[in-house]
Amino acid sequence: MNEHAVRTEDLWKIYPQEPHPVEAVRGVDLVVAPGEFVVMAGPSGSGKTTVLNLLGGLTRPSRGKVWIEGREISALPDKALAKVRLSRIGFVFQSYNLLPVLTALENAEFTLLLQGMPVAERRRRVRRLFREIGLEGLEDRRPPRLSGGEQQRVAVARAVLGEPALVLADEPTANLDSATADALLDVMAQLNRDNGTTFVFSTHDPRVMERASRLIRLVDGRVAEEIVSSDAG
Amino acid sequence: MNRGTRDIWWRMAWRNLWRNRRRTFLTASALSFGFVAASLMMGLMNGMMEEMVSNGTEVVTGQIQIHAQAYRPERSIHDTMGGREGLDVGALVAVAEAQEGVTGVAPRLYGGGLVSSGDETVGAVLMGVDPEREPRVSRFASVFVEGRMPGPDEVAVGAALADKIGIAVGDEAVLVAPAADGSTANGLFTVSGIYRLDLGGFDDSYALLEMGTLQDFLVMDRGRIHEVAISVDRVRAADPVAERVAVAVAGLSPGLVTEPWSVFLGQLYFVVSLASAMNSVVAFMIFGMAIFGVANTMLLATFERRREFAVARALGTSGVALGRIVVYEGLLLGVVALAAGAALAFPLLAHVHANPIDLSAFVGTYSFMGSAIRPQLTVEYSFQEPLVSAVALLGTGVVSALLPAWRVARLPPADVLADR
Repeated sequence: MNEHAVRTEDLWKIYPQEPHPVEAVRGVDLVVAPGEFVVMAGPSGSGKTTVLNLLGGLTRPSRGKVWIEGREISALPDKALAKVRLSRIGFVFQSYNLLPVLTALENAEFTLLLQGMPVAERRRRVRRLFREIGLEGLEDRRPPRLSGGEQQRVAVARAVLGEPALVLADEPTANLDSATADALLDVMAQLNRDNGTTFVFSTHDPRVMERASRLIRLVDGRVAEEIVSSDAG
Repeated sequence: MNRGTRDIWWRMAWRNLWRNRRRTFLTASALSFGFVAASLMMGLMNGMMEEMVSNGTEVVTGQIQIHAQAYRPERSIHDTMGGREGLDVGALVAVAEAQEGVTGVAPRLYGGGLVSSGDETVGAVLMGVDPEREPRVSRFASVFVEGRMPGPDEVAVGAALADKIGIAVGDEAVLVAPAADGSTANGLFTVSGIYRLDLGGFDDSYALLEMGTLQDFLVMDRGRIHEVAISVDRVRAADPVAERVAVAVAGLSPGLVTEPWSVFLGQLYFVVSLASAMNSVVAFMIFGMAIFGVANTMLLATFERRREFAVARALGTSGVALGRIVVYEGLLLGVVALAAGAALAFPLLAHVHANPIDLSAFVGTYSFMGSAIRPQLTVEYSFQEPLVSAVALLGTGVVSALLPAWRVARLPPADVLADR
């Protein structure tokens, strides 16, 4: 196993805007060990989402480097980067972002399908996870016929089913009521605990922060503070 | 790409197509209308060309002709088939008639002369025909406004020629012509009938005589003829029939030339070929215009879904795969439009084919390149035209999708997800 699930070095993201470029991320150094449950917190505009995008290879750093399981991804060409995302990174977005033309089951198995997994194995995995996270019976529903909590659980299923090294979740509870958010966090905590899946969150939500094994506060694109939970380890 | 991923791209493309049914309906309708318009225009153009070819070949010439090699273009009276000795006309006719696709064979003899009545005289082509066989190749026998085909010592003339010299059925006409032996032949013939082909050149300057009568008149043996005209079951398939006939008759006499109408009516063939090429241009123009409209709609549709594409990209879908979904959508849109267009076009084409649009209230019959064009719009169709339209339509769907596909393939996922 690699020593780090993800590591960054002097990570910068500068958006060229007039009249002044925007420095969204300014020199972030970060190391996340496999199986960590890391939360990045900070006010709006602090750079949380941008850091997640950089970690996930959705955007390229203006300066600095990102490693996923020891492999530097910052300079990879688009196609190779897509492969890394497909095989090693899972995403959970704030507004669910399920593909509306696919059913819950098809959404969940989407990455497995791209990975080329046989249909029987795909279906077996999806159905098992759906049972575990309370989505049984909803397999054939399309997103508009699912509640927000159900959609977000499908999104989590989609993110973790491919057994990625790292799941990046961008404010996953932002659009959920308290009970639903708690249930969703339970699901992710369980996956983290049982499967050793590494989670990196960005959030404003104190409930998410409470569950973090490590809390990283970002301010103005910089790491301002790191708090390691006493429960961690 | 494995089967699973291929299936999912098609599935997504198909479902995406029906997310905005009204837009899909309107876009597909535009393409369907293009298909109907292209099919109808090509069908009408074909109908006009078919009319030209039919009239150009069925009225007088036939679809295949056999001559002596030297006969054309001078058309000398001496250049009969088999030379001055002539040949066995019966055998030649029988061999030609036995070939697959041949529906009629008629021998002909030509001479140039004068037709007179009273003080009036006009120059005329004297055409020797076999009254029994000629109706299977030309329309002379069916267009008599008065009287009938000529028998021995009779002549039939066109209506315009009859008017010029003031003769009617039963009158006598004097024919004068240079004979094959160098003498000047002249004789008195009874007018057996007056025909009207409505074809310039034939109604005012042709005089028909029974073959034996004209051979005797021009001092030529029974074995001497200038032409064998042949009709075939399918006008457009005259070329291969001509090849078969040429092979079959080659042994009967040296120097026989067998030509299909595409050769001896070269100008007509050129016009028909041009029209055929025009059909492709018409299809290209109609669907070329449609491409811009459909591409614009697809750009809009993909722009509205750019967030979904960005998500799929973030999940590891390659840009090429996303572009493929859009191209599949374009192709499926084309298939839907084609199905609807075909459902509309084929009954319409069949209807106009069975019920030509009569334009006689606006224009009369027109003679063009030796062909009488009736004032009606009819549709002729084959597999080729709908196939060209179908390929053009499906191509339109795919080509329209290329720009949207290219843009989707290059979406920056982070920027799109951040609504930047």
